[in-house]
Amino acid sequence: MAKTVDQYFDDLRGTRVWRSIFRSGTGSSTLKRALAIQQNVFLHLFSTKVRTRMLSFSATWYLGTLTLGTFLILVATGIPLMFYYHPSVPQAYADTKDLQFVVSSGLFLRNLHRWSAHAMVFLVFAHMFKVFYRGAYRTPREFNWVIGVILLLMTLLLSYTGYLLPWDQLAYWAITVGSNIASAVPVMGEKIHFLLLGGNAVNANALLRFYVLHCMILPLAAMFFVAIHFWRIRKDGGLYSHDSEPAALRANVATDAAPTKEAQ
Amino acid sequence: MADETIKNDEVNRRQFFMKLGLGSLSIAAAGTAAFSYQYLEPNVLFEPSPVVNAGKPDRYPLDSVTLDVNSGIYIVHSQEGYFSLSAVCTHLGCLTAWKPELNMIACPCHGSKFEQSGKKIEGPAPKPLPWKRIWLNDDGDLLVDRSTDVQAQARDSFVRV
Amino acid sequence: MSDSKDFTAGVDSNAKKSPRRIVFITRRTSAQVKAETEDQVQTFPEVLFRAAVAVMTLAVVLVWIALMFNAPLEGLADPSHTPNPAKAPWYFLGLQEMLHYFPPVVAGVLVPGLVVMALIVIPYFKVNIEADGLFLKDRQLRLRIFYVGASALSLFLLLFKVYAALVPTLIMAGVMLVAAQSSPQSSSAFRRYLAARPLSYWVMTWFLFELVVLTAIGTFFRGAGWAFVWPWLG
Repeated sequence: MAKTVDQYFDDLRGTRVWRSIFRSGTGSSTLKRALAIQQNVFLHLFSTKVRTRMLSFSATWYLGTLTLGTFLILVATGIPLMFYYHPSVPQAYADTKDLQFVVSSGLFLRNLHRWSAHAMVFLVFAHMFKVFYRGAYRTPREFNWVIGVILLLMTLLLSYTGYLLPWDQLAYWAITVGSNIASAVPVMGEKIHFLLLGGNAVNANALLRFYVLHCMILPLAAMFFVAIHFWRIRKDGGLYSHDSEPAALRANVATDAAPTKEAQ
Repeated sequence: MADETIKNDEVNRRQFFMKLGLGSLSIAAAGTAAFSYQYLEPNVLFEPSPVVNAGKPDRYPLDSVTLDVNSGIYIVHSQEGYFSLSAVCTHLGCLTAWKPELNMIACPCHGSKFEQSGKKIEGPAPKPLPWKRIWLNDDGDLLVDRSTDVQAQARDSFVRV
Repeated sequence: MSDSKDFTAGVDSNAKKSPRRIVFITRRTSAQVKAETEDQVQTFPEVLFRAAVAVMTLAVVLVWIALMFNAPLEGLADPSHTPNPAKAPWYFLGLQEMLHYFPPVVAGVLVPGLVVMALIVIPYFKVNIEADGLFLKDRQLRLRIFYVGASALSLFLLLFKVYAALVPTLIMAGVMLVAAQSSPQSSSAFRRYLAARPLSYWVMTWFLFELVVLTAIGTFFRGAGWAFVWPWLG
């Protein structure tokens, strides 16, 4: 009897090459599922098991996950965009126009990158407010909240540095206004302004600095802090849910913002 | 009996959705791959035109070999007429030089040597220097198209003035 | 009387060298503090598949938007020509609106700096760890403090003619007054809800309200020269 496609896949999964790459593979046994998380270099940031309460959609609206999702979309669209972009003046503007009119799928990538950026800023604010209103910042999660504020600032900076890159009127003047605000800092303002722009005005140096910040420094820093953020969630006892907290902590702390809604 | 049919149904439904899911995922992946490849291939190149204007023919005396370093071609005026050779060595792409005292074209990188006609004398170069299409335009200028090879020594590969 | 099997007794093994120790272990507790045991599920597939569905839905929405709407692109950057108005990205427009009323040091450095510091400090504030409703304890005193604080802030905003920030402040003050008049025994569920809100809630909600209003004004209601315009007129 001829083999079905499924049988061919099963044979493939039994080969030595496959098993050397995917050591434990997926499966429906508890052990297999635990190993899929625990032995994966990226996924073992998570624990193998979570409390059922943490899956609740109404508790978090999955805003943290969605924020990370927009970040991944931004990286996935941003890197291809780098292939056609020269961070020099005025080539940057010509390249942005090329991306929109000449490069296959260039318009789509640029659009997706831009709207995902706006979405990420919005989602990161929403995530912060949601975490606050359900009281998930309290002991022992204080430091994770601080990491979250750092990530908020990083998101705003990423968006701000990216804003300059098209080198159009919108970009140029938005960044001019913003950097002039930076120069209003007492004592160090002018120095900060000078360092930020690599000069006294928004010119080629500023574009290159913002490009390096936007494409290399800030994404790496953001990924670094995201990893800490996820690790802290796990080590602080998982996603906050009032009824999941240890009794010792729960006794003194009443439910915060919306007791009847958020307590699961 | 009834249990078995229900069980079969469940398995089939799961299999159906698995196939549906994996199928759409593969189609999406294939589409993404196709679009990604298209994206990476530039549609517009910002490179100089392969067509070079070599000026009036009387700039090149009889039996001369003239190298234009900027465009990487030789204009050769022989007994049969004007023709053009690529000056890029066929070994690894270095710019060759015309040595009148030795009556040959030599490559400084690995020692390949070519005759005036492009034929290889010695060296690691695998092929002779290719002849490029040459013609006269309406103004009487010699034009060379570096992107088009023509057959060496063929009648149409020369420009006769 | 309690269940006689509530505890078990154990004896240290080397009774000669060390004094006898007798351990009483109450059933269902241990010497370690342990989180309550409750239902657990496997991360794979439960968490990962939910996350995958959420992110895929997000991707579909964003892709659809990207296909429908183009990212803006204006003319080439021209240092000699400032467009009017020159607006920051939308998430900074609240800040830019405040720059209209206050000098850059205040609106651009002081306020954002204080906001960021306040955000960081929130979880370390032990003022109201029990998260009681603001006006449920020491009502008279707190009401007096509230009157002073709200009036001072409103007067300050009025003085600098920051109507954009004044209106949300007054609205929040009004809602807080309703909360002050409510209690856990109030008739409507809304008033019971308000009565139970702690101070941190009020401050954060005021901040959120201001953020939304200032950003909305900066986005829609400001035209050339940062003049106030009605968005539906031209």
